[in-house]
Amino acid sequence: MALIEMQNIKKDYFLGETVVHALQGIDLRIDEGEFVAIWGPSGSGKTTLLNLIGAIDEPTTGDLAIAGREVRSLSDNQRSELRNETIGFIFQGFNLIPVLSALENVMLPLQIKGTSFGQAQAKALGRLQEVGLSEFIRHRPFKMSGGQQQRVAIARALVNDPSLVIADEPTANLDSETARMIIGLMRESNEKEATTFIFSTHDQRLLDQVKRLVRLEDGRIVDGGMKR
Amino acid sequence: MMKWMKLAIRNILRNKRRSFVTLLAIGVGFAAISLFRGYVSNTYSGLRESAIRGEGLGHLTIFKAGWLEKGKLDPEKYMFSKEETEKIIKFVTEENGVVLATPQIQVAGIASNGITSTIFIAQGVVAQDDRTIKGAWAAFRPVKGEGLNEKKSYGVEVAQDLAKFLNLTPGKDGVVMTTTLSGQMNAMDIQVMGVYDSGSDATNDKYMRFTFDFAQALVDTHKAERIVVLLDNWKKTEQMRALLLKKLTGAGIVCEIKTWNELSLFYSKVRGMFDMIFLFLFTIVLVIVVMSTVNTMGMAVLERTREIGTLRALGLKRRGVSLLFAMEGGVLGFFGSFIGVVLHVSVWGMIRASSPTYTPPGISTPVPLVVDLVPRALFVLMLFLVFLSLIAAIVPARRAAKQNVVNALGHV
Repeated sequence: MALIEMQNIKKDYFLGETVVHALQGIDLRIDEGEFVAIWGPSGSGKTTLLNLIGAIDEPTTGDLAIAGREVRSLSDNQRSELRNETIGFIFQGFNLIPVLSALENVMLPLQIKGTSFGQAQAKALGRLQEVGLSEFIRHRPFKMSGGQQQRVAIARALVNDPSLVIADEPTANLDSETARMIIGLMRESNEKEATTFIFSTHDQRLLDQVKRLVRLEDGRIVDGGMKR
Repeated sequence: MMKWMKLAIRNILRNKRRSFVTLLAIGVGFAAISLFRGYVSNTYSGLRESAIRGEGLGHLTIFKAGWLEKGKLDPEKYMFSKEETEKIIKFVTEENGVVLATPQIQVAGIASNGITSTIFIAQGVVAQDDRTIKGAWAAFRPVKGEGLNEKKSYGVEVAQDLAKFLNLTPGKDGVVMTTTLSGQMNAMDIQVMGVYDSGSDATNDKYMRFTFDFAQALVDTHKAERIVVLLDNWKKTEQMRALLLKKLTGAGIVCEIKTWNELSLFYSKVRGMFDMIFLFLFTIVLVIVVMSTVNTMGMAVLERTREIGTLRALGLKRRGVSLLFAMEGGVLGFFGSFIGVVLHVSVWGMIRASSPTYTPPGISTPVPLVVDLVPRALFVLMLFLVFLSLIAAIVPARRAAKQNVVNALGHV
């Protein structure tokens, strides 16, 4: 079943009087349970594509449906709900809330959803255990290494049991060993829970493990159907 | 809600120095308002007691209709007859909450010690009733000498500067002279029974107190100019006025009733002045609180733009972002007010311990500087400042909520 459906998606940015065509007619379908990498040179439109798939940005033209819901027809509040319930985000810079502990950061999406404190805590503890951080639950982000922070971010992205996780260069700031661990965690979640992962990367270690590669160049998909 | 409150408190503690300066600004502003409010509250109650008991105005004064406008031109016409006076006193004292109703008469004329003469203004009062009206206030400005006594109707009390001018001390004799209601000159011997401080430089060289019978005899009448009513609680003043007016009018007595604050010009003017100063001070503090909170929250929004983007990406709605920042403003207001309460109580304690005094303009003796501790007023002010800080945070909070998620995430 299609989780993401994009038809003739275009995205333009205006820099003063200059129009930048970031995406120029993207057609893409991603099914549930896929492990997809978006790759291509800098400026090819990878992040823009991920922002659209993550419902944090709107296409200039074209149709985009996430989990069967046409994004353009959703209000801002409905998009927020869609993101909270259906999509998990992993950022290159981790983007953890510095005043919250690891556990509180992971609990955040559940608390935004309105889950009770007890349930949210239990679920967040479970996710932190899965990423091997049971002993760091009280630690604030600044007291953790980059790898540990990214593992907290993965736990946070997965805590709501989303259908889709979007990761923008998730291993870019990590050393090889940590990157391997992060890739492993993502693969494990994909295989065990059939969570769809879409990420942008330049990391060959990550590209070697994906089931499907979508190559972008100048805002167009030049190779999108290859499955491994 | 608690989770967001916790987050708000931690965010405030993030930039301790900036938050401390904001909290201090709110706290000092709070203390300035509350201390001035406490001082004014004490001053108002002091002035109120001074008017009701010190000046002897009681809580209500009943005049025959027209007295205040034309009474000086034709006093006899606008005074209460003996029967009317007795009837009014009976009607009034029937009511619950009335301590007493007593007739009074005001006389102005010339007082002399046989060598020197000067003008005087005297109240003719029923001595026993006057003592009841004065109550505990009498201890604040005690009369030197025996004081008024109905058994010695020619015995009078003289304000201290007038007594000094005429060299009249308790036991000495003098003469007072005035015109009767029919326009004849009349003079009567007096004996000084007491010397008192009227409380004001403006009246200490003029005021005297006569017994009611003596004042009536001096102006040759059996009538009363006014009937002063003392209540058991000043808060009943307005309610009792309405009740008595209805009752007396219903009984065919055409009268008007004035309250103590309407008759005490000094109280009204001082209150007007203090209210204006309070408003001025309050406005300044209001501006300081709003500016400090807006500045702090504005900086917080700027510094935490990326964080806002993250929260929005995780599904927090715009309303949630607004609420979070507004809550931080409210928390600033709460803790700032708390600092204000601590400052207020500290200064209040210091004033109580040192008991300073000062002499206000026009007042004859030093008065203690007292600041009331009014918990209800502190609580109301605290609520107001929390609300104000919350409102002040709304502008930056809305700005935070309206940010584009992608731009916010990309903010450096």
